[in-house]
Amino acid sequence: MSSESPDGGLAAYFGFARRGTSPAEEKLTDMKRRKTIRRLWTGLGIVVGAVLFNYSLGVVGFSLAELFTQIAFFIEALYEYFPPTTYYGVPFVDVMQYVEFMIEENLVQASLVTVSIAFAGSILGLPLALFFGVMASERVVPYPFNFMFRATMSFIRAIPALVWVLILIPLGGVTPFTATLAIMIDTAGYLGRLFTDELEEIADGPIEGIRSTGANKPQIVSFGMLSQVFRQFIAWIAFDLEHNVRVAIGLGLIGAGGLGLELDIQRKTFNYTEMMACIILILLLAGSVELLSQRVRSYLRDDEDVETTGFITAVLRAPKKIIASTAGRRE
Amino acid sequence: MSTLKVEHLTKEYGDVTAVDDVSFEIEDEFVVLLGESGAGKSTLLRCINGLTEPTSGSITLDGDPLSGSRAEVGMIFQQHNLVEGVSAYLNALNGSLEHASTVESLFQWQDRSDKLRALEALETVGLLDEAHQRVAQMSGGQQQRVGISRALVQDPSLLLADEPVASLDPSSAETVMDYLKKAASQHEVTALVSLHQVNIAAHFGERFIGLHDGQLLFDVGPDELTPELIDQLYGSVETVGLAAQNDDTAAHEHGATGDGPLVDDAPTDHGSTDGETADDDEGRRVEA
Repeated sequence: MSSESPDGGLAAYFGFARRGTSPAEEKLTDMKRRKTIRRLWTGLGIVVGAVLFNYSLGVVGFSLAELFTQIAFFIEALYEYFPPTTYYGVPFVDVMQYVEFMIEENLVQASLVTVSIAFAGSILGLPLALFFGVMASERVVPYPFNFMFRATMSFIRAIPALVWVLILIPLGGVTPFTATLAIMIDTAGYLGRLFTDELEEIADGPIEGIRSTGANKPQIVSFGMLSQVFRQFIAWIAFDLEHNVRVAIGLGLIGAGGLGLELDIQRKTFNYTEMMACIILILLLAGSVELLSQRVRSYLRDDEDVETTGFITAVLRAPKKIIASTAGRRE
Repeated sequence: MSTLKVEHLTKEYGDVTAVDDVSFEIEDEFVVLLGESGAGKSTLLRCINGLTEPTSGSITLDGDPLSGSRAEVGMIFQQHNLVEGVSAYLNALNGSLEHASTVESLFQWQDRSDKLRALEALETVGLLDEAHQRVAQMSGGQQQRVGISRALVQDPSLLLADEPVASLDPSSAETVMDYLKKAASQHEVTALVSLHQVNIAAHFGERFIGLHDGQLLFDVGPDELTPELIDQLYGSVETVGLAAQNDDTAAHEHGATGDGPLVDDAPTDHGSTDGETADDDEGRRVEA
């Protein structure tokens, strides 16, 4: 910095003093000034971010001291999460404890309940999604009217499935049945929206081609439009099924049955080993559903861009995806 | 065996008159529609097919007024307009949609005769063995032939084609035109085909209708299609003038194209003068 400018000083370094008169030198000064201004804005942004961060930490009562005092308890809990034992002298997690609990509590049955909630809910929601998705497309229903269907789907999506269960409690209590209804509604909103988006992107040519044969309106919609997106629809259904399995686990946590309910019970009774057994099963379940749905989708995708991911890579990537998606993010 | 009668047909888009008081009558012929891009060829065909409502004038087929799209009029599009994700057979079968109810067609409960007709139509265009293939996997020429078979399944009495070979290479273009003409004569339908390439038009056409700025410029038989007419149609395009003077080249090229009804010396390809068919290089531009 000090090697700069015997003849301009600091002002010239930051681009606020002219050093030469040739067009190139003037442009250089100009660009230095722009850079200085950009840096000032960046600095301001960092300061604002830091203030907001500090405020947020205050609101949630974040304290490092608390972490330090609690860390010992957490490490203690880890021994319960992952009970140590030795196999032939080699220390390892006592897997048998998990397995015993899984058999004892019949967690396989609980997993079946979770998958059933997701599957039944998806199938029940599918016709609704198809109806709303198609009717919300501007190509099927003219402009102001298609918005009625769009708005219905937006409304459904504005309320998370977790809250739908709460709303539906008078219908069937906090049970797998209510959870299934909630997933049905959720599917109508989400899958329907995906269908609509897919329909917006279809080509006009085939529609006109079908129209030219003298087909009636329902035939134009089915053969000119839906036949163009048939494969994509199947792929989205596979994706939504996968999403619904995760939702069903979440619904279990508030008491609607299945694996989530089992997890909640173990948490409330501080049985950390049993809780971890549930979590491991959730990982396996969500992971295998994801893998299955992904294979279906890549098989259905157009032949040109077949997914080349091998099985191992897919397995390695699955946990990351599961974490991302159970955190509530949709891919 | 059908007669298409167009009387005082006019179509306006806002201030633009795309088709301006056009009248003609065709009967059991293979008619080629010529004209620059924007001359109103597509609009005229779309009006006849019912994809566009004419502003005024009448269109009748065997005395019945035509309105709306219907199976009697088969249409072949430049971009074939097929459903690419499904098989050639299902695309051809779509031609029978009009006389099946929605439910019947959804579950493919069409009559056996309809299904056989779809396969026979594919046989006519030489694609019976490929009937199960997805259209997306086919070449441009094959796709266009599937388009022809769909129109044939409609069992039309009038066949329209809007620049059916404009996006094909010369060899595929000729194959497609061969099949189109064969299909029209086998099914004894009147055909109205718009084309850019004057040499292809001259080779296949039995009658020529020229449109310029939406108006009918000429309506002639093969003997009357002269270079002067083509000049009038396309204005003073330099390559056309050169080709008209350079009879040897033109005659030689026609010899190479085939042994069809030679129309004296049709000039070179005009397709290259507009953007739509820029990729359709026939390699026949005469060097100055």
